[in-house]
Amino acid sequence: MNQPNMTIQALLYRFGAALLLLLVSACGASNVVIEGNFPTPNVNKMPLSVAVIYEDALREFAYMEYSETGREEINIESGQSHIRLFNAVLPAMFDRVVNVDTMEDAVEQKVDAVFAPVIEEFQLALPAKTKLDVYEVWIKYNMRLVTTEGDYIADWVLTSYGKTPTATFRSVQDGINGATVVALRDLASSFSLSFSQVPEVSEWLRNL
Amino acid sequence: MAKKPLDRGTQEGINMSTIKKAQIVNVGVAFFIASILAACTSTTVDEFRQGETGIETDESVVILGRRQASDYETDSGFVECVGDRMQRGENAISVVPEQEFIDSMFPWFEPRTAPLRTRDLEQLMAEDVVANKMNDYGIRYIVWVDGFTETSGRTGSISCTVGPAGGGCFGFGTWEDDANFNARVWDVGSLKNVGTINADATGQSYLPALVIPIPLLARVEANACSRLAIQLKDFVNGS
Repeated sequence: MNQPNMTIQALLYRFGAALLLLLVSACGASNVVIEGNFPTPNVNKMPLSVAVIYEDALREFAYMEYSETGREEINIESGQSHIRLFNAVLPAMFDRVVNVDTMEDAVEQKVDAVFAPVIEEFQLALPAKTKLDVYEVWIKYNMRLVTTEGDYIADWVLTSYGKTPTATFRSVQDGINGATVVALRDLASSFSLSFSQVPEVSEWLRNL
Repeated sequence: MAKKPLDRGTQEGINMSTIKKAQIVNVGVAFFIASILAACTSTTVDEFRQGETGIETDESVVILGRRQASDYETDSGFVECVGDRMQRGENAISVVPEQEFIDSMFPWFEPRTAPLRTRDLEQLMAEDVVANKMNDYGIRYIVWVDGFTETSGRTGSISCTVGPAGGGCFGFGTWEDDANFNARVWDVGSLKNVGTINADATGQSYLPALVIPIPLLARVEANACSRLAIQLKDFVNGS
């Protein structure tokens, strides 16, 4: 006789646990992994051999957006998309590009220079906060170009901006992804077109 | 078992019920048509020609949306709509899809790097990689579409309730939509701006709600797209 009651009780416990789990998960920050493909730039290749070091800070780069009350709201993981972008852009800019983990590896590869990009700042503007009908992303980079001996050739700041409009059936995640992909394309365009115009790089290229 | 014939009163009841239903349907249809007519749009198209135009069968056009403004960007859906319509019907024109063109021209037509004036295009065409790609696509004209749809004058209110017995909405809302787009046509051969076409469509939308909200939308963007595409097709063909 007790069996049906116990079954109902067990079901109620399970339902309660599921509801609690749902509530707890609803309170956590949502995660956005930036996804997108980047075209190869149509630029003239420079006769250079460049080693690239992607530091862990770039590989695992994530930005946390907080609500107005200080609660963790959205976690944006863009490290891997940055690496995909540089892997598409750099081989189009230089004759030879090798990915290395350390400066010693770069010396072994007998390259002209070592390139190490760093993300300094990431900013996000959501329509709910700005009251504009666009998602906006700003990213500030520190681009470092050094010799295999570790001497600085150039160290310059590059900023990129991307926006995407709100749409009726577009989720916040899609909006953030869209704006970040536009910002990454902006980085690729300004980096590939302005690289040789950076004064220190220009001087180094003349003396090479 | 044989069916019992209906008495006169019951037959009249059924007939009256059928007539009433038909009347309700007719009134509903009339109301719906009247509402659609009420939600119609008015569209104005202006053309300003600055040079001769014409296009060969092996040449094509690319339509690009302007995305430099800080507070809005030209909807890619609108750009696609204009392109699709230009490729249809009599004197159809070959149109290169916007995203395909931007990707293959990367990084020269990104929001930050895209040419804003024809002399910027002249500088851009001096780059071999750009000139070769343009040639591969057979681009004769670049059409820059710039604009947006604005909603204003929202009035009325609708309240919806949901209870154990069901739910429903009651109220009335109305607003005005204004789609204003202009298209600048650049001749890639002469590197000149050969004309500008402006399409402005306005319309009033209504949202009456009697249990179910019935949106009666003014299709301003669709109308602006259709009229702009027709005018652009004629303009590019030189007619």
